[in-house]
Formats: sequence, C-alpha cells, structure tokens
Amino acid sequence: MATDMEPVDQSRRFYDDGISIGGFEITSEDFWGWLTILPVLVLYTLVALIPIGFAFVASLHNLPLLNPQWEFVGLDNYIEVFQIDRFWGSMWRGFVFMVGSTVIQLVVGVWMALVLNKISRGSRLLSTLVFTSYLIPTIIVTMVFLFMLDPYDGVLHAAGTQLGLWDDYLLGNTSLSMTAVILISSWKFSAFVTLFTLAQLQSIPDRFYEAAKVCGATTWEMFRDITLPRLYGAILVVIFLRAVFMFNKYDIIYQLTQGGPGSATTTMPILAYRETFELGAYGMGNAVAIVMFLFLLVSGILYLKHMNPSQEVQT
Amino acid sequence: MSTQTGGDDTPDEPSLGRSFRLSHTYRSLIYRTGLYGSMTVLFVILGFPIYWMAQNAFKTRLGLQEGITFFPTPDIFTVQQFDVIFNPTVGRYLLNSVIVTIGVVVTVIVVSLIAGYGLARFNYKHKVKTARFLLVGYMFSPIVLAIPLYLIWDTLGLLNRYVGLILALSAMSMPFAVWLMWKYIQTIPASMEESAWVAGAPRWRGFLDVIVPQTKPAMIANSVFAFAIAWGDFTFAYILMPDDSATTFPPGIFRLFHSSWETGWPEFMAVSLLVSLPALLFAFFLQSYLLKGFKIRAL
Repeated sequence: MATDMEPVDQSRRFYDDGISIGGFEITSEDFWGWLTILPVLVLYTLVALIPIGFAFVASLHNLPLLNPQWEFVGLDNYIEVFQIDRFWGSMWRGFVFMVGSTVIQLVVGVWMALVLNKISRGSRLLSTLVFTSYLIPTIIVTMVFLFMLDPYDGVLHAAGTQLGLWDDYLLGNTSLSMTAVILISSWKFSAFVTLFTLAQLQSIPDRFYEAAKVCGATTWEMFRDITLPRLYGAILVVIFLRAVFMFNKYDIIYQLTQGGPGSATTTMPILAYRETFELGAYGMGNAVAIVMFLFLLVSGILYLKHMNPSQEVQT
Repeated sequence: MSTQTGGDDTPDEPSLGRSFRLSHTYRSLIYRTGLYGSMTVLFVILGFPIYWMAQNAFKTRLGLQEGITFFPTPDIFTVQQFDVIFNPTVGRYLLNSVIVTIGVVVTVIVVSLIAGYGLARFNYKHKVKTARFLLVGYMFSPIVLAIPLYLIWDTLGLLNRYVGLILALSAMSMPFAVWLMWKYIQTIPASMEESAWVAGAPRWRGFLDVIVPQTKPAMIANSVFAFAIAWGDFTFAYILMPDDSATTFPPGIFRLFHSSWETGWPEFMAVSLLVSLPALLFAFFLQSYLLKGFKIRAL
C-alpha cells in the first residue's frame, strides 16, 4: 500500500487542490477515496459482475460444457426452463426450504439469544457452542449428521426407529428428507440469528430497564416495550439475510442428499448445478442461475423497500 | 415459546406496580425453570453432535460396529484414527485448505482495512452509494457465481489454482469485512490522526501508525469470519478446483466419502474433529470480538 500512498508526500499541491480536466473535476478526496475502494471494486467486478454478465450471455446460447461451441439460441433456454416440470418443482421445494429453515432459525435463534443474555453461569460455555456451530465447516456438520443417521451405527437412526418416527434411512425417505435437511441446516445456521440478536440485546443500555423498573413496569411490560422494539429491526434484517442465504443454499443440501432421493430435495441451486455439471448443459444451467438471481433481486428490493430495515436498526 | 416470555423476567426483580396473581416466589420459580430448562435443552441440541463426533473419533472400527456406546471404553479406545491426516490424500486436502485460508484471510484484512479507511476518512462523490452497492454482494450466491466463473477461470487459466479460489472467496467475504471496518474506523477519533499530521507525519504514516493498531478488534473479527468462509467453503472449491490434488478439504473429503467405502466412520470423525478444532478455539477465545463484529449495522 505504501507505493500507492507515496505520491501524497511529494505532491502536496495536488493533495490540497485536486485536478480538473476541462469541466470534469476530481478533488483529491475523490481521487484517494476511490483509490482505496478500488481493490474491492476490482474483486467485485471480477468475481461478481463479470460472471453475472457472462452467465446472462451464456444463458442465451446452447453451450455443451465439455465442448464449448457457442451457438446462439436467444431466449430458448428460458422458454425451456419455464416449461420443464423439474424447474417448477425445484422452485417450490426451494421455497419450502427457504421459509421452513428461516422460520425455525428465527425462533430458535431468538430463543437462544434471550437465554444467553440472561444466564450467568454456563453462558461462556453455551456461547462457545453457539459460535462453534456457526464456524464449523458445513462438511463436518453433514458428516456428523450422516454418521448419526447411518442405518448401522447411527445413534439418531436408532433413536428415531425406537420412537417410531421413521423406519428406514431418514435421508432416503422421500417424504421426510426435506424436513430432515431443513432441521440439520437449522442446527448450523440458527447461530447466525443468535449472534445478531445477542449483539442487539447487549447494546440496550441498562438504564432503560432501570428507568422502567422505577416507573413500576412489570417484567413483561419491560420486555414488550424495551426489548421487543429494539429487536424488531434486527429481526427484519435477519429475516432478509437468512431468507436470501437459505434460498441460495447449495452446499449442505448437496452434501446431505445430492438433491435426492429422486428429486425430493432438489432446490433451485441444486437444479442449476445438475443442469450444468451433470447434464453438461452449460447454457441451461446459467439460465436457471439467472432466473434465481433475478427472482432474488426483485424480492429483495421489494422487501427492503417495504420493510426498510435500515431505519430500524440502531447500533 | 413459553421460555421467550419467561426470559425477560429477572429473579431479583421487586414486584412493584401491577403484580400478577402469582406470588413472587412462584413467578421466580417458573422463570428459573424456564431459563435453566431452555439452557439444558440448548446445551443438548448444540453439544450432542459435537460430543458424538469427538467420542467416536477415539474408537476402533470394530468397537464402533459393535453397537452404540456413549463412551470409548478402554477395550475399544484408540488414537490411531488420527493417522488419517498422514494419509497423502487427506494431508494434501488439508494443506490446500490451509494455503487457501491464509491467502483469503490476508487479502481480506488488507483490502478491507484500506477500503474501510477510505470510506471513513474521505468524502468522495457517491461514497454511500458505493457502500450500498457493496452490500449487494450479500445477494450473490456462490452457486450463481461459481457456474459462470467455471468457464471464465478456465479461460484465464485460474481453474485448479490457489489464486482463483482465493480471489473468489475474498470477494465473498468483502461486504461484511468492509462494512465492519468502515463502522469501526468511524469510532476512532479523527483528531488522533490529525495530531500525527501536525507532527509532520505523512498521511500513510498516520494510517499505519495510528489507525491500523487501533483496528485490532475489527481485524480479529474480520479474520475469523474470513477464516470461517474460506475454511468451510464447499461450493466454490467444489466447482473451481475440480482436480483432486488441487482441491481443498471440504470437497475432498466429500469425494473421498462418496468414492470409497474403505475408510470408516471413526477415521472420518477423527479428521472432522481435527478440522473443527480451530473453530472451537476461535469460538472459545475470540467470542467477544465476534460479538463486536455483529454489533455493526448490517444494512
């Protein structure tokens, strides 16, 4: 970085006045400001903007993965995407996965945060567990759960069959596998909600509660009038983030079931992967990815416009 | 959600004002039961899978097949399963993971420090718009990006190269890292830097000597989150590192798991335990920094 900053030293005049070329004026603030953010923008362009554009172009072509011959087909891929059954099925399953896991994570996460905020003994240990479940790699989570659900040595499998909840391999069960995948991913990702909510809870000054106590508020009233309004904004943000992340979730579902059995857990990201790398239809896979992206973009903007969570969150 | 309403009670709260029909003793009892009951339930739910992984990592394969036991008894106890890291394949995956993770953490810290400083200290045109644009990064899902990146990286020759994966993962960590750094540097008084300038230090020295040391908490939070993203990433590594010798741990172990039945559960649990140890240590020692990281405005 030193090399970028060096000229400041030598050209004090530029540093103070900036430059103007014709009517186009660049102040020194503009110049250095943009320079500092440039690396991030370059990364974004390279890893996000170019790929999205590339995906859009590729989705207009018929493009076999192994022998990339660009054959322009216009919107054919999109027309095909909307006509195939597996697209609508996967969209529905993705929706179920998104809503189910977001709701579970929200309830469990807020519950955990409220408990963690109140307990005095054991809180460090419990929060260690919460943080661990968030930081632990997804593959470990799936390995452990696959092991626990293993029909021969699995403890959860044994428990479930004893209780009569399921009698076969749980993840091979067409009607239960989606629920199982939702619960297992909630095990890992509830921690995100907890961290976010806990940070908000801890930022509520004690004097609010003291004042309420002096005024004779009951604990329920304190919860309703102090804690909840403070949490409300954070919860709006967290719903948004969790819903976006879960809609896009690819790794944990793929690691647990590879979209199976049959297509019982094939959500949209899995479909995009399968179209691209298993069926080798690169253009088609990109069309699915673009549809996903647009769907998310539109619903995201609508949510943010409607709820305006940034107004609610106070540090 | 009885616990949620119970969670707001404080046991030592004097029953001023309107009190319910229940006496203080009973309310306090219900509250304590709810609170410590929830705590126990959460302990079991969160702790059991980790405990199960840890205890089975110390069992022999035969011992594991004999049936479900809750503790590795002496006759089936072994530490031999940890030899799996000396297995050249698994060792290779781990080495690749370490290289990629270090690369991502360093890139994220350097880039986010500079960008955060710029956002906090320079007033340039469209600054807030740019920052908001960075947040759009939250919307880019790894799978949507990785599919087009596959061919782009292929053309650029970055497929199966550490650099390619490091760039992709750094970009994923950026929205959080830059925002955290921005908000954090805003809390450092500008006058501290100004006094350095008055003393004759050039701007970059002020940045290096005054700002950088003070951003330690934010840097720790950023590096832990960057670590978590890089160490745990599956999607990008799976697609951008298709070659088995180039791939990182998560896709590697996934392929190993699905390609051979030779390796048994105890080995997998042993290597899982090893790989999750950094996460456990970070969680235990750095939790205050992590919480601080989450205190920033997310949007």
